[in-house]
Amino acid sequence: MSARVMVAVAAALACAALAGCGERPQSEATYKQGKYQGKPDTRPWDNAPLAYGNNKWTKGDKRSWEDELKGRTLNQNENTRIGQ
Amino acid sequence: MLLTRKSASAAAAPSRLSGGLAGILANTVDRRAFLKRSGVTLGAGAVAAQLPFNMIGKAEAADTPAETGKVEVRRTVCTHCSVGCAVDAVVQNGVWIRQEPVFDSPLNLGAHCAKGASIRDHGITHDSHRLKYPVKLEGGKWKRISWDQAYDEISQKLLAIRKDSGPDALFVVGSSKHNNEQAYLLRKWVSLWGTNNCDHQARICHSTTVAGVAQTWGYGAMTNSYNDEQNSKCLFFLGSNAAEAHPVSMLHTLHAKENGCKVIVADPRYTRTAAKADVYVRFRSGTDVALLFGILYHVFKNGWEDKQYIQDRVYGMDKVKEEVMAKWTPDKVTEVTGVSEAEVLNVAKTLAEHRPGFIIWAMGQTQHNAANGIVRASNILMLALGNVGRSGGGCNIYRGHDNVQGATDVGPNPDTLPGYYPVFVPGSWVHWSRVWNVDLPWLKKQYASEAMMGKPGMTVSRWIDGVLEKNDVIDQDPNLRAIIYWGHAPNSQTRGKDMLEAMKKLDLMVVIDPYPSASASMFAMVRQEGAYLLPVATQLETEGSVTASNRSLQWREKVIEPLFESRTDHMIMYQLAQKFGFADQLVGKKDGKQNIRLVKGKGGMEEPSMEDTLREINRGAWTIGYTGQSPERLQAHMRNMHVFDVKTLRARGGKDAKTGYDLTGDYYGLPWPCYGTAAIKHPGTPNLYDTSKHVMDGGHTFRALFGVEKDGVNLLAEDGVCSKGSDITTGYPQFDHVLLKKLGWWDELTDDEKKEAEGKLWTNDLSGGIQRVVMKHGCSPFGNAKARAVVWNFPDAIPQHREPLYSPRPDLVEKYPANDDVKVLWRLPTLFKSVQQKAVADKTAEKYPLILTSGRLVEYEGGGEETRSNPWLAELQQDNFVEINPKTAADRGIRGGEYVWVSTPSGAKIKVKAKVTEGVGPDTVFVPFHFSGWWEGKDMLPYYPEGAHPIVRGEAVNTATTYGYDRVTMMQETKTTLCQVAKA
Amino acid sequence: MARMKFLCDAERCIECNGCVTACKNENEVPWGVNRRRVVTINDGVIGAEKSISVACMHCSDAPCMAVCPVDCFYRTEDGVVLHDKDLCIGCGYCFYACPFGAPQFPQAGAFGLRGKMDKCTFCSGGPEPDGSEAEFKKYGRNRLAEGKLPACAEMCSTKALLGGDGDVIADIYRQRVTVRGKGSEVWGWGTAYGPPQAKPAAGSKS
Repeated sequence: MSARVMVAVAAALACAALAGCGERPQSEATYKQGKYQGKPDTRPWDNAPLAYGNNKWTKGDKRSWEDELKGRTLNQNENTRIGQ
Repeated sequence: MLLTRKSASAAAAPSRLSGGLAGILANTVDRRAFLKRSGVTLGAGAVAAQLPFNMIGKAEAADTPAETGKVEVRRTVCTHCSVGCAVDAVVQNGVWIRQEPVFDSPLNLGAHCAKGASIRDHGITHDSHRLKYPVKLEGGKWKRISWDQAYDEISQKLLAIRKDSGPDALFVVGSSKHNNEQAYLLRKWVSLWGTNNCDHQARICHSTTVAGVAQTWGYGAMTNSYNDEQNSKCLFFLGSNAAEAHPVSMLHTLHAKENGCKVIVADPRYTRTAAKADVYVRFRSGTDVALLFGILYHVFKNGWEDKQYIQDRVYGMDKVKEEVMAKWTPDKVTEVTGVSEAEVLNVAKTLAEHRPGFIIWAMGQTQHNAANGIVRASNILMLALGNVGRSGGGCNIYRGHDNVQGATDVGPNPDTLPGYYPVFVPGSWVHWSRVWNVDLPWLKKQYASEAMMGKPGMTVSRWIDGVLEKNDVIDQDPNLRAIIYWGHAPNSQTRGKDMLEAMKKLDLMVVIDPYPSASASMFAMVRQEGAYLLPVATQLETEGSVTASNRSLQWREKVIEPLFESRTDHMIMYQLAQKFGFADQLVGKKDGKQNIRLVKGKGGMEEPSMEDTLREINRGAWTIGYTGQSPERLQAHMRNMHVFDVKTLRARGGKDAKTGYDLTGDYYGLPWPCYGTAAIKHPGTPNLYDTSKHVMDGGHTFRALFGVEKDGVNLLAEDGVCSKGSDITTGYPQFDHVLLKKLGWWDELTDDEKKEAEGKLWTNDLSGGIQRVVMKHGCSPFGNAKARAVVWNFPDAIPQHREPLYSPRPDLVEKYPANDDVKVLWRLPTLFKSVQQKAVADKTAEKYPLILTSGRLVEYEGGGEETRSNPWLAELQQDNFVEINPKTAADRGIRGGEYVWVSTPSGAKIKVKAKVTEGVGPDTVFVPFHFSGWWEGKDMLPYYPEGAHPIVRGEAVNTATTYGYDRVTMMQETKTTLCQVAKA
Repeated sequence: MARMKFLCDAERCIECNGCVTACKNENEVPWGVNRRRVVTINDGVIGAEKSISVACMHCSDAPCMAVCPVDCFYRTEDGVVLHDKDLCIGCGYCFYACPFGAPQFPQAGAFGLRGKMDKCTFCSGGPEPDGSEAEFKKYGRNRLAEGKLPACAEMCSTKALLGGDGDVIADIYRQRVTVRGKGSEVWGWGTAYGPPQAKPAAGSKS
């Protein structure tokens, strides 16, 4: 290939490359109206209980976490302690 | 810029792994990030610390290395009010990072109000408005100095004043926010200095209650507990806005209400508490006796009184009945209170038909010039209905600050030593010098004279007159020249303008407080020098016990080390004592013995041990039974709150895992009186005067304090009236060695006990043997007597209605005048009638036609500088305001939200915002008292030390309040004065 | 398990603002942003005053979610409505749409720009790793991930504000209403069932 073509090709390539320079890259996913577009979130029961405190459940087990919470909710009802 | 943005920061790595990092979960909240994210709080419209994402640079991700550090949970108690809500403070690396509710607590079950829920702010150092280092007023500016320099200068000045004028030239305003140990040490400290001129917030809070109620039946404290309201059928709130002043108590109240209990609220304002009432009665502020006796009139008229109970346990009710039926007929009641006969009858009927019931009060009853009578009238009403001395009934007195009960019991009172031993009884000094291990002759020489040693001191409500009055009319040699404000605000006392004058004259003012308080700003406004501010640690930065309103003691663990340069109160006491030469006496060091060990505090400096101090209290406070609450028992209770029943406060079982202590039978917090030594394991007394139980089970009788008979009438309980299982089944006097010998119980004492108890009473027998043996026989150490409806140690034998000194009804002033002036009351001349007469002569009620009353808000507490420095609380109430009725406002052309001037006969006027509401009647306006930092419209910000001003400042209502004091206790008349309101 | 819900019992709420400060404390919410507020209606009017604590209701069919132009809202499996602050453009449309005034906007910069929307998260953080720095800084504490319930409900002074599994909450409330015989009329009982009926005439069928 002649140098001029090379340059032309290079210029064309460069132009093509430059065309995207002023813009930040778009997100990979195409924007779909009505669907959540943000970061994923962890589910609460996929965490282990804290090192301190009384909370106990098995990490990853939704049922045991729900049970833990249900028990905890009863603290908001004074009758559970008064009625005893 | 694109509309949808992906996160460009490296900080966020969407991953599901985070959950697995159990250890790190506990460590992810570290100090530096914590500091960065603390709210910025420069007042309304402040810049948020939480910036929008596009302004957070990559720097955020870099400066938060995960710090490792064990997480600890320390159990403490909120430091705001007397309910005593427990708090679990989560601490990591010495930083208080979180707080959790303590559901196990039988007192609050995990609940908090705004103040308790935000208490962690005390541990935040970023943008803190606390006093951080000692400062001295120099050239009108607050200059930072070192502790050593502060101590040197303060002690030099005080010793010079003492040399010139004697020890009585100093007034020490102590604190109801000190824990029991600190309050106790402060009373000792002041005694060692050589004066009785000390006081604390109880004076302006419940002093009238303590005096009046003690006169009725022996102890001046809440008879039952907040919890016991759940067992009640009727709650009569007269002078209490519990929804704002004791919010968590409403948990018990509302639970009771939902289970059939009737709630009656009588208040000049329709408060948040009144909004929950079944029956609401609006009456004129200050006319409580008329209302109470108006109710009693209907009780007697309809025969609703408990005749058997009165005959068995009450003295003098017949005389009261005579007076009530003659003086308080419905027409007179309506004339004085403004309440119709039908309403009064309704209240009486509700009370009579729903027993047992409580009467509940706070400042609404206590802050009047004849309040000693008002509280007694409340007692009489409850006695008439037979409500006292049983679960679900009695006088539930809601105390204010977190430890005002404890400070009153064992702290800096001008007329008593710890445990209410009167200073004018020489035996009290003999007793306490023994307990303190202090040489009594030496102690006597510290005082100006023995006469001064036995004379009750001045009160915090009148210290200003101690400075300003002419020297020949005060009952001590020197005027007051120096004052130490130790954990007490000045803007909760009346006559702010006069206080400013007093500050102009003082030689020295020392403020020892975590916050500068209005003392600093007021002083700097009128003086160029003469004041020092010392930063002291809060109760979250030390350990110690605190007594809740229901008399339960709770032990606080230390959450964090004292912040900034602050030191604990007891360290400062000890260090100043070293300067004054009584450090050894403070810790009871003499003859090779030392009562209170010194432990290493902040920075390795020594301070008295709080546990040892409590043990000393245990050895000496026999009168009120502060003897059984050893540190070990209290700490076991704090660790095992879940075993205590909420309705009865009793532990049904349980053993402390740490010490093996058996909790069975104890009442939570060992509510005093917990008689005898810790060894006999008295469970505490949850409900006072309750004869249905054995004394070793929490049972109790009325105290025999006033003699055995009066005018031929028996003052002791009648035959058959005694606590359960009592060996003596009739009335008996208080116990001493003579009575024990007479009964043949003397030989039940051990030999050691006999040696100590010989010649002693139940109150000064340091072995506790007398109390032990007496209770073994089922008897109360303090006797078994009748409650007295009529007293003879007070100016009014039967409670009288007396119009406020600044009364809106000159016609009624004639019929119900105030007491006569007194030449000397608590060392000062005190005016009553002459002030009232002058107000009538000057036609004050015409110039100032509105009743000005003041009170509490839920967001703030006390003088307010502490809570107004907490951004989470300050944001909720940013302006001081006056509640004004729509008609009153319309008549003056005032719109809601506008600034108005409230002016009073004191000559002062304050600028506040108008809140137009039907909550107050057309004749009354209300201003909360928690504000300070403005003076008659001017912002006092320049007068605070740098960086230590409250976020929210406003007018102090007490800048404008007027002269008026209770005839017995010198309580200030803050609930009723006169004012005029005008557009600003 | 039902979805997470709040219920504020107006018979018990005394406007102590404990819930408000508990939230500010636990989530370190700055001045000017109030995820939870207590509203008192008929202040001072005898017999009519009521207080109730309001924050995000975590609606099942959330209007905020429906109108958001960048779709930054999502709902967790427990029914908690959360959003991604990284996507939020601060337009305030959710503020228009919300019937409870839940969306809050921190002020930022010198010109009072409306910052990223902030609101009650039911103390369950947001789309960042649970319990991490980033999550705390942007969204506050994640108590659900610690097996706890929202701080406001757990600290309510009179246990007026209940928060947690809707089923359990309803049970607690039901028990209360049964014992005391009233409370639900504040919520429009009268709208659903008509005003309290006059006593039937003697002899007529009840």
